[in-house]
Amino acid sequence: MNAQENNLAKFKPRYRAETADLALSEWERLVPASAEWVNALRRRAQMSVQETGLPTPKLERWKYTNLPAKLKKMDLVYKDADITLSGMTDYAYSFPKGMLHFPQWAQDRVEEDVPSHDKYGDMMLWQAANAYLKDGFILDIPAGVKSSKPLNVTMAGHAGAYFVPRQVIRVGEGAEFTLIEYQNGSGAYWGNIVTQIELHKGAKLNHYRFQENSENGVVTQNTHIVMKEEASYESFTLTTGAELSRHQIHVDMKGQRGECHINGVNMLDGSKLSDTTITIDHCASNCVSNQNYRNVVDDKATAVFQGKVHVHQIAQKTDGYQMAKSLLLSGQATVNTKPELEIYADDVKCSHGATTGRLDEEALFYLRARGIPEKQARNLLIQAFVNEVIENISSDEVREQSELVVGRWLMEQA
Amino acid sequence: MIEIKNLKAEIDGKEILKGLNLSIGNGEVHAIMGPNGAGKSTLSYVLAGRDGYEVTGGSARLDGQDILEMEPDERAAAGLFLAFQYPVEIPGVQMTTFLKTALNAVRKARGEEELDAIGLLKLMKTKCKELGISDEMMKRAVNVGFSGGEKKRNEVLQMAMLEPKFAVLDETDSGLDIDALRIVADGVNALRAQNRSFLVITHYQRLLDYIKPDHVHVLADGKIVKSGGPELALELEKKGYGEFAKGQAA
Repeated sequence: MNAQENNLAKFKPRYRAETADLALSEWERLVPASAEWVNALRRRAQMSVQETGLPTPKLERWKYTNLPAKLKKMDLVYKDADITLSGMTDYAYSFPKGMLHFPQWAQDRVEEDVPSHDKYGDMMLWQAANAYLKDGFILDIPAGVKSSKPLNVTMAGHAGAYFVPRQVIRVGEGAEFTLIEYQNGSGAYWGNIVTQIELHKGAKLNHYRFQENSENGVVTQNTHIVMKEEASYESFTLTTGAELSRHQIHVDMKGQRGECHINGVNMLDGSKLSDTTITIDHCASNCVSNQNYRNVVDDKATAVFQGKVHVHQIAQKTDGYQMAKSLLLSGQATVNTKPELEIYADDVKCSHGATTGRLDEEALFYLRARGIPEKQARNLLIQAFVNEVIENISSDEVREQSELVVGRWLMEQA
Repeated sequence: MIEIKNLKAEIDGKEILKGLNLSIGNGEVHAIMGPNGAGKSTLSYVLAGRDGYEVTGGSARLDGQDILEMEPDERAAAGLFLAFQYPVEIPGVQMTTFLKTALNAVRKARGEEELDAIGLLKLMKTKCKELGISDEMMKRAVNVGFSGGEKKRNEVLQMAMLEPKFAVLDETDSGLDIDALRIVADGVNALRAQNRSFLVITHYQRLLDYIKPDHVHVLADGKIVKSGGPELALELEKKGYGEFAKGQAA
């Protein structure tokens, strides 16, 4: 049996095959690609999703997020993805028509990579994205190139659309680059995004995301990063949008002395649900990984944070850190945090923590006693809370933008 | 002019202030002394409007306005200032941001023009210098990592910037050594003015050697039980609070 058959046998009782239609109902309409490998990949992926359905809360990593229940209430039609590239576009290009002349390295990645060999049996969104492989771009930074100017990627959702953007990224040896994603849109839609990144020796990528999707939108995103030795990856995601969002990040640290920072701030109001699920696989020695998240949850919103650090036996001298702090602004807000460490090496430094609380009443009174009106005092404290993460963003521009988005979010709260 | 009449307040249904009367004229400094549990800190929190302190009767007027009806920030804008016994640490909120936000909120509420960043910085520098507060302290988060003396000096700095009509100093001497006490007291004395009144709440007479009061009151079991001149503080220092402690829970 191969890994996939294994999974099917193991997880079958938890699968709900009938939910596959939610992702595949428009599949037949997809125009066949000119490249045969793409058609074959789509077909394989489509069959896989038909067998497994979409992830339901019966699966461990989807316990807190019921995607099929949400999608069932939506009426969506498959549409082309609306992706705009701007800024430093020298090394980026959209997928060619008919998917012809795809670079071999990118084809290899797309054909082979489903992270962690799908050991949780829950990568059906990735498969669903493969089934629709058509829209996206390739970003290929040659070895040694260092650009301080970022590539901006805007992915816009449109009412009634189901769209599937793909990003395939390679940063060559010693190269340095910055990528900024802007996600926004209007109306109800579902974007199912896959982002594949490989960082070669000594490469450095700063990757920022402003998730400002429509309040009726659904976005699911799988980001998989493979890091070679001495590579460095900094990610920061600011989530203020989407009715339901799932951001799953998987880092494979495959070379020694790599360093990754996976940070984010989620500011949720209304009935939004934002799910951040992170797995860091330390597969080599002397690597550093940090996860640092802040959730600010108001109204009836829900934040989910599941972070895992997996230290393989070979990964001695690993330094792994994880912290998720949540601030509940209303009595009906919910936070589910699940930090996990799985360590098989004996000489490592790993720590994790999670806190959930309300605004500090003492601090609030102190500020108000100095003449600061309640709303303003609360906002000061919330800003201080999220700034613990925002202040570590290495791009000045992104840090300032983030502060603006946070400020705007606070202004909009009743 | 501060006029507190028959003030009654309780916490969790337990009556702490039991009909307190106090009148402080413009420019006067009054001291309230009393044993532990007499209601000294409750009085300061009730005046500042802290949650959990329920006023069940009486009034407290500042220049004719009943402040007990106001939100804490409105009281500050109206001219009340409470120097906290335990100044609160607020991680992540920088001193300069805090001072600017507070000062401009108060100025706005008072119908005065708000200060820009440069104007604020100038004012802050001047006041810091007067109080012996280093610029480095202004770069830190509010009260975070401050020593006991620094925290109290920071309270006086805020008072100097907000220019209240009526300042309540809640056990400002607690946790201070003599040198720190002198600096804080000098800061307060520098702020004494015709249009500014002070209420100094303290357990010990020591503070009153540095901040000389016009009147001294003894608070026991939720009421003012004795009033007099500065000599009353000395008398208490000698005799203790024994004679006023009657009727209190041991």
